[in-house]
Amino acid sequence: MFERVLNLFWIVLGLGAAVHSRSLGITGPSGPESGLFPMLAGLLVAVSGAILLVRRADRARPEWPRGAALLRIGGVIAGLAFIAGFAEHIGFAVASGVTMLVLLRSVERTRWIESLAITAGAVALVLWLFGHVLGMPLPRGPWGW
Amino acid sequence: MDAITGLATGFSVILTPANLYYCFLGSLIGTLVGVLPGVGPLAALALLMPVTFVLTPVAGMAMLAAIFYGAMYGGSTTSVLVNIPGEAASVVTCLDGHQLARQGRAGAALGIAALGSFFAGTVSLIALTFFAPALTAIAIRFGPPENFALMVLGLVCTLYMITGSAIKGVLMIALGFLAAAIGIDVVNGKERFTFDSIQLTAGIELLAVVIGLFGVSEILANVETLARNTLVADRIRGLWPTREDWRASWKPILRGSGLGFVLGIVPGGGPVTASFMSYALERRIADEPQRFGQGAMEGVAGPEAANNAAVGGSKIPQLSLGIPGNAVTALLLGSLVIHGIQPGPLFMSQRPDLFWGVVASMYVGNVFLLVLNLPLVGLWVQLLRIPYRVLFPLVLLLSVVGTYSANKNLFDLWVMLGFGIAGYVLKKLEYDLAPFVIAFVLAPLLEQSLRQSLVMSPHGALLLAQRPASAALLVVAAVLALLMFRRPAIPKGVPS
Repeated sequence: MFERVLNLFWIVLGLGAAVHSRSLGITGPSGPESGLFPMLAGLLVAVSGAILLVRRADRARPEWPRGAALLRIGGVIAGLAFIAGFAEHIGFAVASGVTMLVLLRSVERTRWIESLAITAGAVALVLWLFGHVLGMPLPRGPWGW
Repeated sequence: MDAITGLATGFSVILTPANLYYCFLGSLIGTLVGVLPGVGPLAALALLMPVTFVLTPVAGMAMLAAIFYGAMYGGSTTSVLVNIPGEAASVVTCLDGHQLARQGRAGAALGIAALGSFFAGTVSLIALTFFAPALTAIAIRFGPPENFALMVLGLVCTLYMITGSAIKGVLMIALGFLAAAIGIDVVNGKERFTFDSIQLTAGIELLAVVIGLFGVSEILANVETLARNTLVADRIRGLWPTREDWRASWKPILRGSGLGFVLGIVPGGGPVTASFMSYALERRIADEPQRFGQGAMEGVAGPEAANNAAVGGSKIPQLSLGIPGNAVTALLLGSLVIHGIQPGPLFMSQRPDLFWGVVASMYVGNVFLLVLNLPLVGLWVQLLRIPYRVLFPLVLLLSVVGTYSANKNLFDLWVMLGFGIAGYVLKKLEYDLAPFVIAFVLAPLLEQSLRQSLVMSPHGALLLAQRPASAALLVVAAVLALLMFRRPAIPKGVPS
């Protein structure tokens, strides 16, 4: 079921891209315009999606995660979203530290002491390597780090 | 510049303390990446590419190349000792390598794998040294129609070698083209698919795409299963193979070297395909095929030689033509572009120091890897004890910082996350992700060649058929495309 919906999505996406590409222009007095290449790509997406929709042979039978596995995956996604959303406000060190700690405690069920040690070590290593050695400016919080 | 002079130039470039250091570092990281399950060479390259931004192009490219071929060496250790492939090209090494380890012959299996890899790697580098300039000499005469046809052929070959459905491969290529079209059209400054978003005007960042598709999706897959490592040998003894081991292995190593090199050149081939093909070949021609899977030394020697030879082979289209044969070489090409270097047939003549420096670094790296993988094998065995819960936070943080480093833009983290989820779902649905990355990297060149070709002639697209070289390449591509749907199935479940 999921794959059929996905194949329908490919068709809609491809056709949408092709239609939008037309508005960019396909050919003009100076030759091909900006829309030609994406239009061809969009049509290819739509046609491939349509073939996948009708052909049974290409369908996969995936085992989707359930229960604890789904929670672990959700936890990692939520953690990355937290860093992306909050690193600018609370700094990279705190955002990634909080994420690590929560993930280690909830996803991996690591003991508190071990979680704190791994978090501190991982964050310190990354900050040292990228922030200090490579001189890359990482987002800082209101406290300056 | 002939090959010998070029190679001498390359050695003069690479044999400086700094360049040797980065080559060694790349070999070390590559072996580490190969040994540790859950961190593939592609994800590692993407994560560490930002580190090379501060290096000279020679040091950066030498380090990245060393990570690639280092992972091929290291992958065998995990396959033999844990029965989990450290990276995709070592999947088949599990079959006989682990059986040998269970019989107390882990040392011999690792020894043959390392020595076979060294031999195959060196042979493929010698071939690369002489073959790449010859190919460049031909490719330098190519105009936009021929370049376009060549890239189309490369993409069709990619489809020919992928695992699973070919239609899904076509779809991934088309999606790669669409994703690459986002941003400003460099020809006329028009915005495409940006939907008035400032963040999208610069296009989608390659690092965010690759780290998402191959790094984050791998983390998601690993936390789903929470696999545990079970070592079958605490200490490795008898690394030097016996006379019988050599007798059984020397022919598979030779065959694997040749097969791997050829499959490396073919776009879409690469180390994974090479190792599978070599295993299939050895089993087919064996006097006692029933021994395969029970601990046959040939089942380790052939595939391990093949996957290392394929690395040298895959460098030929990458360095001579600017065409990536697989996702890893696509990323390496992307890193050249980030360093401000235009890959393609002119690369060798415009930057001989870099071209030959990278080739020479691979000779040096091959020696480093032999040392790292034989005397230091005990160290890698100990690393296999590190639980994934210690590794994955570090990989996660490196993913975040690696993505952020490209543009210092948090929007890229959302892109990475989106591609990570998409990669996880698509892999579940048996989509091969490599064609997406290859198409994403090739798209600007392909589009430029197509547009230039169409402008060059009043007959438009007919020009592609009128020029002999482009017509021939397109005919080959069309024949391969027709044959594609009858291709022999490549085993599923092989990570891209």
